[in-house]
Amino acid sequence: MSDQMSLLGHLRRKLTITGLVGTPIRYYVAVLFFIGLAVAPSTGQMDVLNMLTWTASFYFIMWVISWDFVVGYTGQVSFGHTLFFAAGGYTTAILNIDHSVDPAIGIVAGTIVAALAGLLYAIPALRLEGHYLALFTLLPPLILLRLFRMFRDTTGGSRGLPNPEPLIEAGSFSANAEANYYLSLVLLILIFAIAWVITRSDTGKIFTAIRESEDAVESAGLNPAKYKLFAMVFSAMLGGFAGAVFVHTPSGSASPSQLLELAVIIEILIASIVGGFGTITGGVLGGFLVYWGRDWLRNADQTIPVIDVPMADIDILLFYGALLVLLYVLAEGILPWWYRQVDRVLTRVRGEEPSAVADGGQTWLKRQIGSLQTRYDENREENTGRFEDRRKK
Amino acid sequence: MTVNASETGTEASTHSTGEIALEVDSLVKQFGGLTAVEDLSFEVYNQEILGFIGPNGAGKSTTFNCIFGTYKPTSGAVTFNDEDVTGLAPYRMVRKGMARTFQTFRPLPDRDVVSNVSLSMASNKLFTLSGLFGGTQEEAIEVCRRVGLGDDLYKTPDELPHAGMIRLELARAIATDPELLLVDEPFAGLSDNEIESLSELFQDLREEGMTFIVVDHNMRGLLDLIDRAIVINFGSLIAEGLPSEITQDETVQEAYLGGEEI
Repeated sequence: MSDQMSLLGHLRRKLTITGLVGTPIRYYVAVLFFIGLAVAPSTGQMDVLNMLTWTASFYFIMWVISWDFVVGYTGQVSFGHTLFFAAGGYTTAILNIDHSVDPAIGIVAGTIVAALAGLLYAIPALRLEGHYLALFTLLPPLILLRLFRMFRDTTGGSRGLPNPEPLIEAGSFSANAEANYYLSLVLLILIFAIAWVITRSDTGKIFTAIRESEDAVESAGLNPAKYKLFAMVFSAMLGGFAGAVFVHTPSGSASPSQLLELAVIIEILIASIVGGFGTITGGVLGGFLVYWGRDWLRNADQTIPVIDVPMADIDILLFYGALLVLLYVLAEGILPWWYRQVDRVLTRVRGEEPSAVADGGQTWLKRQIGSLQTRYDENREENTGRFEDRRKK
Repeated sequence: MTVNASETGTEASTHSTGEIALEVDSLVKQFGGLTAVEDLSFEVYNQEILGFIGPNGAGKSTTFNCIFGTYKPTSGAVTFNDEDVTGLAPYRMVRKGMARTFQTFRPLPDRDVVSNVSLSMASNKLFTLSGLFGGTQEEAIEVCRRVGLGDDLYKTPDELPHAGMIRLELARAIATDPELLLVDEPFAGLSDNEIESLSELFQDLREEGMTFIVVDHNMRGLLDLIDRAIVINFGSLIAEGLPSEITQDETVQEAYLGGEEI
């Protein structure tokens, strides 16, 4: 109610010239980025194979978002998010292949099963922390993988279930690829928007507060368990939903190598950390970089001098090596690092003392807040007494 | 003079309204075979500042945790505003009008002072747009000024001095708009000046209607602040009365300094 009013009011303020000028550049970059992805297929630069790879990368990024949503914010470490992707993907694939269930219904079912799998982590996570929780979550995907091999008649074993019905079909192979590309892009934008809004609202602030001190959260009259459960289950639903749709696109299938194996979660983890942990936006950037970096190495036709080995032959080695270096030199993640650089330049351009930049580059931000404070001070007369009023209520 | 709880239980301070805010009845807390709190009963009156005193390890913190719901009492009852709140979770206690500070501070090190305090004003709905556009922090700023953090609004907790951290704990508690505030060892490590200014803050807040239980094992500073004190040792009540009576009490002196003058 008041939420809607504040949203409308905010939009009205934003959609003025001063509002648009005052909006940080990164928002425009994000919008342009998504617009770029939307027009890319119509430029003719993208062949069908390319489009399929892009489509697959969108799902990878949705998974990165799903992981960052719970781990980057609440600090409940999960190394086992693949359980959710597989729960979503395999549920709908099995329902479709063995019971002829429509993919749309199967996807809903897959999302629900993923949510239940989320509870499997969320409830122990109320008691376990840090390394213990990470270890706990590492095991279920491994167990599931063994079970899939045991029941290979239903699950296809290590090959998986390659051909569930497509969710949408559009005649020719290329038209089909394009339709799925757009479907996936829309889902990516949707999931990004949902995760972005939740993490930027009070709920996101409570998530990060839980990471810092559960006692503080509880002393503020908020139930940490509620938020921890929500974060994990919602993350599971996002990841499970993405996994479920993925298996019904030409880019994906319900197979361990795409949904369940350790390599999948390792890449997601690295993408999130390289891009900027606990930012959602960083996850998107890191997701693209990691996915396309690996793809580029796999298809590279260059030969490494001196040792005379084709790059494509040792692509995974090079990929992990490069990530190792990147994690070491840019531990904070690309996006947070980049904001800091921009901050530094802005501070210098505005002629502030360079020494003021040393404290983590927050000066510019602090000054923005400071100007708000000045405005507040002007209204202080009116506001004194507010506290007493509040107390008397 | 050993004072029995029932004898002085009716003695309300000059400030209090005489209505009972919090009543602790026969509280027992055992950890395995160890009894940390043994049959403890006392009450706090509205707008009173009650000192809760005892040597280290006397069971003060355990009692605090039982009242606030961090621990479930083994037996006994906690009544707050005529409502049985025994063993409710801490966040529920806060919503009922209780708040606490921690002796070992619990700041959120990742954000500035105002954002630490505004957590207490965050929407508790999962799907909310509140806070999405920066939100309004005016109320949190007002609380910060109130506790004397007006110049430190945009510092992070690790930039605050010790006294500032205590004020931050208080700010977060006050921002929940409590009727009863449990303050855990506020004066530890403070200079006389700081103790005095903090005491003034407590008294101002009391004038506005807040009730306090202030825990300390150190009586320095505390006796000037409180209206009434209860003293426990080994989990049991050993004395109750006005500050002046407490200092004269032989049992208290013995418990504290092996009989020396306090």
